[in-house]
Amino acid sequence: MMAPASVRGVVLAGLAFAGSAASAQDVKIHAFLDGRLVDAPSPTSFTEGGYGKTRYGSGDTRLQFGGGGLIVTAQATPSLLGLVDVQAQTTDHRMLGLVESYLRYRPVSLSPWRWSLQAGVFFPPVSLENDGIGWTSPWTITPSAINSWVGEELRDVGVQGQLQWRGQSSSLAATGALFRRNEIAGNILPTRGWSLSDLTYGLGERIRLPDQPSENGQAPTERYDPFRRVTNQIGWHADLTWRAPGNTRVTLLRWDNGADPHAWVPYEGGDRLYAWRTKFWSLGATTQSGPVTWIAQAMEGGTLALPGTRHVQTHFRSAFVLVGWNQGAWRPALRLEHFSTDNDSSFGDGGEHGNAVTAALAWRPHDWLRITYELMRVDSYRSYLASTGQSPSVKATQMQVSARLLY
Amino acid sequence: MRRAYQTLAGLVMGLAANAYGSTLVVHVDDGHGRPADSAVVTLQSPGGDAAAAVPATATHTIDQRNETFIPYVEVMRPGEQVVFRNSDNTRHQVYSFSELKRFEYVLRPGTSSPPLTIEGSGIIAVGCNIHDEMITYLFVTSAPARVTGKDGNAQFEGLAPGNYQLRVWHPQLKPGDQGARLEAVVAEGSPAAPLNVHLTLLPDPRASMDREHMGY
Repeated sequence: MMAPASVRGVVLAGLAFAGSAASAQDVKIHAFLDGRLVDAPSPTSFTEGGYGKTRYGSGDTRLQFGGGGLIVTAQATPSLLGLVDVQAQTTDHRMLGLVESYLRYRPVSLSPWRWSLQAGVFFPPVSLENDGIGWTSPWTITPSAINSWVGEELRDVGVQGQLQWRGQSSSLAATGALFRRNEIAGNILPTRGWSLSDLTYGLGERIRLPDQPSENGQAPTERYDPFRRVTNQIGWHADLTWRAPGNTRVTLLRWDNGADPHAWVPYEGGDRLYAWRTKFWSLGATTQSGPVTWIAQAMEGGTLALPGTRHVQTHFRSAFVLVGWNQGAWRPALRLEHFSTDNDSSFGDGGEHGNAVTAALAWRPHDWLRITYELMRVDSYRSYLASTGQSPSVKATQMQVSARLLY
Repeated sequence: MRRAYQTLAGLVMGLAANAYGSTLVVHVDDGHGRPADSAVVTLQSPGGDAAAAVPATATHTIDQRNETFIPYVEVMRPGEQVVFRNSDNTRHQVYSFSELKRFEYVLRPGTSSPPLTIEGSGIIAVGCNIHDEMITYLFVTSAPARVTGKDGNAQFEGLAPGNYQLRVWHPQLKPGDQGARLEAVVAEGSPAAPLNVHLTLLPDPRASMDREHMGY
C-alpha cells in the first residue's frame, strides 16, 4: 500500500528528525518480528471481508506472519524526545503504516508541577493494555475489543499538552489534545462492529469493510483510509489521570472528533466516505497486588453520520477485566469482556452484542524472545446476518502460538 | 497504621527478651515471609545520644546502570556529600524537587555529577526526567542507620548495653504508613537472634530496561 504524499511527508520529517539527532548519543532502535502458528476459526475474518471477529478466519491451521515493527527514538536533548514507529503486516494485504511519529518536549521541573507538550502522530491515551513495544500488549497477543478499535481507527494528528502535579505518594495529571484527520473514526463500528485483533493500523493503511452481496454475485472489496482528511475539522480529547503507589492508575477520558456528519469525500468506486461524529467516555483503572496485575477498562459512546436525508446513529459500549500474574519468565493472563452496538432503525442493521474470553501464557526465556500461547473464544450475535442467509450467532475459537523476536 | 503498631507492640515483648549482646541484627520482611531489602533501620538510645559508632563516609555514590539507580536507598548523615555516576550508555537527567534539596544534573555516559552536600535530615526522592521509572532515595539522618540487604538483615555492631528505639522505613510503605517503631534491649553476652519486623509493602514501582517495555 502506497502512503499518500502528506503521510510520506510526515514519515520523512520524523525520520529526518531522527537522522539529524543520529550524532547524539541517545538514538535508539527498537524492533520486533512476530511469526505464529494459528488455528483459525471458520467464520470469515473481517480482514477477509467477513463478519468474523478474529484476525484469522480461514478455518485451518497454518503458519502466519504476525507483523513487524521498527521504532526509532532520539533523545535530542534531555527535554526533547522524538519517536517514529513504522509497522508492517500482511494479513489483509501487504501494508506498511506509520503508527506513530511525534516530538515530545518535557523540561525538568524542580517543583511538584511538570508540564509537557507533544506534537505529531500519536495514540490518544486510552489503552492501559498496550504499553509494550510498538503499542503491543505484554499480556496477550490480542488486545481487548476496546483497544483493538483504538488500534484500528483512532489516532491523533495534532498536539497534546499535559500538566502534572506530583505529591509525596501520588500524582495527578490533566491532559488535553487537539487533533485532525480522525473524522472517519467510528465508521467501522456500525458497519462491521467490534473486532478482537492485534492489527494496528497506521497512516497509509486501509481497513477492509464487510463484503456486501451484489446482483451479479461479485462482492467488491471495499477498503477505506481511517485517517483520511474530510473537512479538516478539529477534534479534541481530555483526560484526568491519578497515579498512586502500587502501580495504581485511574484514567477518565472524553473524546470527540468534532466531525461534520454531513461531510463526505469521494471513495473507491465512486461511493462516498462519510465523516462520523464520534464521541465517547473511557474509564480505565489498573493496580498491582503482589505479583498480580489487574486492568479494567470501559468505553461508552455514540457515532452519527447524516448521508443525504438519512440519519444513521450508533451507540457502542464495551468493557473488560484482565488479570495477569508476573511469575518471572512466565506470565499467564486471563481477560473477560463484553461488547455491543445499537444501530438505529434506518441503518437496516440492528447492531450486535457479544462476549469474549482470552487466556494467554507468555514465556520470556531470553530478553530477545517472547513465546506466547493464546486461546480466545468469541461469541457474538448480529441480527443482520440472518437477512443474508447466515447464522446471526457466531462462535469462534482462535488459538495462536507466537514467537516474537525483540530488539 | 494502627494495626501495624499493634502488631509491633506484640513483637516488642519478645524482641526485648531476644536481643542480647553487643551486636543487634534486625530482620525485615514484607509481611509475606519474604526478606525486604532496602529498608532503613535507625537506632536511637533513649537519651538521644549516638547509639553506636557509625563509619563516616564523606561522599556517597549513586550509580546508574540499566536505567536503574543503584542503590535503591542510600543512608547519609547531614553534611555528607553524594555523587551521581552514569554507567549507562545513555544520557540521564538526575533531579529532585524535595524540600530538603532541589538539584538537577544532566549526565552523559561515563560521567559523574559534582559532589553535592546535603544539609539537614529527611528523605530525598531522586528521579530521572528522561526515564520516569527510575527512582532512588537518600535517607539523611544523624542517627545510626543501616539498610537491609537481600537477606532482609541490617546489623549494628559495637553497641553499648541499654534500651534502644528502632525505626524501620521502606520506600514501598503504603501512603500514610510511617513504618515500624519498636524498642530493643541490648545486653552483654553472645549474639542474639535477629529481631523480626514485618512491614506491609506495595509492589516495586521501578522498571529496569527491557526490550518489550520501552517506557517513553
